[in-house]
Amino acid sequence: MPELYLRLLNRILTPLLLLLAIYLLLRGHNLPGGGFIAGLMAAAAFELQILSRGHDRVRRSIGPYLNSGIGLGLAIAICSGIAGLLNGVFFKGLWFDLHVPLLGELAVGTPVIFDLGVFLVVVSVATSYLLGLSRVSDTAAPIPDGAPSPELSDSFETDPAVVADDSSLRTER
Amino acid sequence: MALSANLLAAPVAAPLLTAALILMVARWGGRTLIRHQVALTALALCLNLGIALTLFFGAAVQGRRFVLQFGNWTAPFGITAYADGLSATLLLLTAIVALAVYPFAVATIDYHRARMGFHPLYLFLLMGVNGAFLSGDLFNLYVFFEVLLMASFVLLTVGAQPAQTNSGIRYVVLNLLASTVFLVAAGVAYGTLGTLNMAQIAERLPLASEAVRTIFAGLLMVAFGSKAALFPLFFWLPASYHTPPPAVTALFGGLLTKVGIYTLFRSFTLFFPELLLSWQPALLTIAGATMLVGALGALAQPGIRRVLSFHIISHVGFMLMGLAVALSGNSLAIGFGLGAAILYLCHHMIIKTALIMAGGAVELYMGSDRLASIGGLVTRQPLLAFLFFMAAISLAGVPPFSGFVSKLSLLQITLDTRHWVVSGVSVFASLLTMINMMRLWRESFWDEYSRPSRVPSRLLQSTRRQWMMLVPVAILVLFSLGLGIFGEPAFRLSMKVAQNALDRDAYIEAVSPSALYSSDLRRGAFYTTGPTIPGGNTLSSTTLGEPPWPAR
Repeated sequence: MPELYLRLLNRILTPLLLLLAIYLLLRGHNLPGGGFIAGLMAAAAFELQILSRGHDRVRRSIGPYLNSGIGLGLAIAICSGIAGLLNGVFFKGLWFDLHVPLLGELAVGTPVIFDLGVFLVVVSVATSYLLGLSRVSDTAAPIPDGAPSPELSDSFETDPAVVADDSSLRTER
Repeated sequence: MALSANLLAAPVAAPLLTAALILMVARWGGRTLIRHQVALTALALCLNLGIALTLFFGAAVQGRRFVLQFGNWTAPFGITAYADGLSATLLLLTAIVALAVYPFAVATIDYHRARMGFHPLYLFLLMGVNGAFLSGDLFNLYVFFEVLLMASFVLLTVGAQPAQTNSGIRYVVLNLLASTVFLVAAGVAYGTLGTLNMAQIAERLPLASEAVRTIFAGLLMVAFGSKAALFPLFFWLPASYHTPPPAVTALFGGLLTKVGIYTLFRSFTLFFPELLLSWQPALLTIAGATMLVGALGALAQPGIRRVLSFHIISHVGFMLMGLAVALSGNSLAIGFGLGAAILYLCHHMIIKTALIMAGGAVELYMGSDRLASIGGLVTRQPLLAFLFFMAAISLAGVPPFSGFVSKLSLLQITLDTRHWVVSGVSVFASLLTMINMMRLWRESFWDEYSRPSRVPSRLLQSTRRQWMMLVPVAILVLFSLGLGIFGEPAFRLSMKVAQNALDRDAYIEAVSPSALYSSDLRRGAFYTTGPTIPGGNTLSSTTLGEPPWPAR
């Protein structure tokens, strides 16, 4: 079971990190920030989830969406480039004013959409790395007293990726 | 900017978008979903071929130059995509090879590899190769090198066999070293010339000192030579090409080293044509050594795919020979040599892919590719035996096929420019190729029928799969035959492409980086104390003066 302070920290920090990620994503429009940094920030939030709730639960909840996230991010980024064709040239910025009730006029353009795509790709890739690494560190963790702890063996068996890898090896031979 | 320039983004955007769609919609697993992946990938490959054909007719046949400044940010500030005849020819060949290997891949790739993302990776690799051919600045070239390196690394290791992982690590480490050297070269260019745009580098390089030019050229030569598997730097290729599934080897053999060769052609014709004159002995030596080592190494290899991958090295040597004699200072030789090299490149990409696919088919039927333990397939698979034979003699350079035309033209220019030794070496290497090919054919098709190990039964049961394996080979062999029969128009076209690629001023003019500096340069006013080039603060320490070769 993860330690108490981690679970507590998770409750406080995860929303903050996600908010900060969104802030950085939008701020990157004109100032330092942008999709890449925001993506890493959001991935840090997911890492906190992995640490505090165990990689198994996190994998079950967000694992299936990671590949879709990469694809969606790439598609958004490319489509923001294709949208530039409306203005004549690939990747030419398109700008329009958005009226937001509380914030007033906002100049929104295709670069923001491109950044959103970058954000999605970075979040998905980094999170899947972190999930993979946490699986490795979990299964490779030193086992006290030489006996496999029930948690570890359980997670190993239910892990779909590991099972799939094994079966692929077996059929290849 | 016309719509036609926007077409340059398509060879990169179309595979990327399709791969993204596959990742997004058709998730891993489930045979129906994999069928959707196959359909989407095939669609993207056909689209890519259409775009490449359009660009080829525009750039190679009509001699136009396409320049796309992304987002309309002009050259030094934005990203440039550039296509002339040379890039368009390679794009077209890449599209043909990728489309031809794909049915073979669909027929032979097992379900688990497909589940692990084989099809999107195929598209990512295509995107990397296309992007490398199109990029107009050094940094993007580096980025696309990395894209294709990563895609090929995963394609090499997907399936996670121990041999694959072993070779994959060697492949990626050696290639990353080459990429690092390339990055250092880009750093040298940016630090001394203040730009990464290739047209601008070509424009400013005459201003740089002799040392800078030599170091830059040497670094590029090492980086691209390693990518192209030239003589001392080829180790990654034979270490890795025989381990993945045959379809992947066919794709790699058709595409990967050609990116290195293209960048060598491009950088040496654009950046430092004068260095090729002074470096010519070294280049010819490397070319000769590459030809010999590839052909001799292939003789010693025990398996079909090992022989064929060693042969790729030998053929890269032929192409480098074309480039090296191209710049012997004789204006006739310049176009002729490069044209012959380009024709050889076309021939090689087509026939090598066909041959590796045919060899892969032999391996799949026999369950092994060790020449000592297989044999006698001619009675079981007469069509495969015929196609393999045709492809083999085309590679060796027997008349009606493209190998003859391309080797003849290369040999002719080498003899005309009086490079006796290297021409002798090339003839000897061709002879060794012939011996190798006959050895391959005899060992695998002639003799008593012997089948050492289990055969993937589904392959022998499904006639549809067998046709999907053989039809692409047949089409590529027909291509080679056509290229050989219509050798003269093909050679004329490649001469035209070569002349286009050699025209440095037209390249610079088409991209037109910073009109301020270029107009000064064209008037011959070289800065001695004048305006500084932005970012190039070391320019003052370099010796400035007349360029070492005349402007035209």
